[in-house]
Amino acid sequence: MTRRRRLAVAAVGLLAAAVAPVAAHGAGLSGAADRSLSVPTWLFLTTGGGVIGASFLLASFVTDRSFIRRVHGWRRGGLRPARAARWLGRAVGLGGLAAVLVAGLVGPREATRNAAVLTVWVGWWSGYTMTTYLVGNSWPAVDPWRTLAAPLPSLDVDYPDRLDAWPSVAALLGLVWLEVVSPVADRPRFLVGVVTAYGVVTLAGAVVFGADVWFRRVDPVARLFRYFGRMAPLHYDDGVRLRLPGVGLDEPRLVTSRAEVAFIVAVLWVTTFDGLVATPLWRDAAVAVVGAGVPPGLLYPAALVAGYAAVCGVYALAVRYSKRAARTYLPADVLARRFAPPLLAIAAGYHLAHFLGYFLELAPALATAAVAPLSPPEPVALVLPGWFGGIELAGVLLGHLLAIWVAHAAAYDVFPGKLQAVRSQYGITVAMVCYTMASLWIVSQPYAVPPYVT
Amino acid sequence: MSGERASAGDRTTAPTGERAAPPPNPPEEPAVCGHCGDRFADDRLLALHRGRAHREALTDAEIEAYREARTEERDDVRLFRVKALGLLLLIYFGFIYVYAFVL
Repeated sequence: MTRRRRLAVAAVGLLAAAVAPVAAHGAGLSGAADRSLSVPTWLFLTTGGGVIGASFLLASFVTDRSFIRRVHGWRRGGLRPARAARWLGRAVGLGGLAAVLVAGLVGPREATRNAAVLTVWVGWWSGYTMTTYLVGNSWPAVDPWRTLAAPLPSLDVDYPDRLDAWPSVAALLGLVWLEVVSPVADRPRFLVGVVTAYGVVTLAGAVVFGADVWFRRVDPVARLFRYFGRMAPLHYDDGVRLRLPGVGLDEPRLVTSRAEVAFIVAVLWVTTFDGLVATPLWRDAAVAVVGAGVPPGLLYPAALVAGYAAVCGVYALAVRYSKRAARTYLPADVLARRFAPPLLAIAAGYHLAHFLGYFLELAPALATAAVAPLSPPEPVALVLPGWFGGIELAGVLLGHLLAIWVAHAAAYDVFPGKLQAVRSQYGITVAMVCYTMASLWIVSQPYAVPPYVT
Repeated sequence: MSGERASAGDRTTAPTGERAAPPPNPPEEPAVCGHCGDRFADDRLLALHRGRAHREALTDAEIEAYREARTEERDDVRLFRVKALGLLLLIYFGFIYVYAFVL
């Protein structure tokens, strides 16, 4: 959030000059704390944890396997998209990319008026990403790099199997690090540089390994959207079909290796990290650590990697506990693969909590900048009402509830015993309760500018 | 997501004896499925597994064991539900009390 939230603060700040009294609610989630003044933080967090625990108990009442199968197997439709839809997707993707490059290079330098910055952060990373888990993953059709890579020749070098999904894990962590520490949301020219570099690497990779292999196994954005798309109601299965949200996360073949589990845990961690570095606690800790002699440049990557290792450790611990509680002979790796996809629902809920308000606030600015990218009018920002913080918190909770249900269904599929399945979820539920409380705490914190970033 | 790696997490198409890693609290002698070689902590879990995964190939004795295991499980599930309901009420009223004192 960090960079981008600063953008929101800046945009809303402009507006606040004109309508001072309503400005207090401007900065997205940071206003959430003001709205829950009457409930002390510890009680607010415990309630969130309690809701997750209670929903686990409620889910455990559903012990009818055929009911679970029916709910998860429910499908409607089967519409084959017209060829025109695919071309439209490509056109939108290429048009968007061209607009970002041109507006970034020749548009105004202020981030809040620049169509490139607004398109990437508001239109794409906030708005478009929401459609991948709320509606369906259209990225394979839209991705401009995939469209550009398609006609290129390929050297068809064999992709080393032992690399698996690890490059996409590293790339995801790297992108988030870049997003936090660099002026990628402040300086349009820099953003164009990053987009171009990403494109060059992507096209080179697609030429070397073949476009299909690259976008299936390496490209972190394609992988992220593909995973998010698994929880969306619309999916492609010999035609566009409708299913209940989240049930796609239960498929046994969704995650097939340790690296893919690591990617999902990374998705979860980076959404948290992004919020964590904008809290006053992080600010104080960072100042103290740098004061003790740690170079500031090392601070963010070290925290990013250490935090990631910690979250991986907690997940591994939860899975080990799950194996013990279920007394199963299934290897822990199999359990880890099976119970990782529900975490995507949590990550999506957290993304929604972070970005829905941000998206709505800046959507008018995006619209005006898109209409006249070279000489946009003064940015307009929407001021959200006070109750909007409640919707953001609901996003966090709904993501966790969906995760609880999907994990419950997966456990019923994996284990022959019903109580064995319930017991297998104890450790994972405890981890989720802790994670909810941590997430809610971050969401409730006032915004603090992350120190030592340019 | 390639095909040859894809079967690892799938119970029904799992290779023979996929359930072969003992839990940290293993029984003295695991119950081994005669149809696929999978291992289980006790006979009841094995019976339930056979009933679900090898329904077509069961002997009469195995069918009987499956029925018995399901009946036992139903009783256990009933007891568990009572406990879970109790815990839910505890959480619910616990929060009501806490809120009543704090606010």
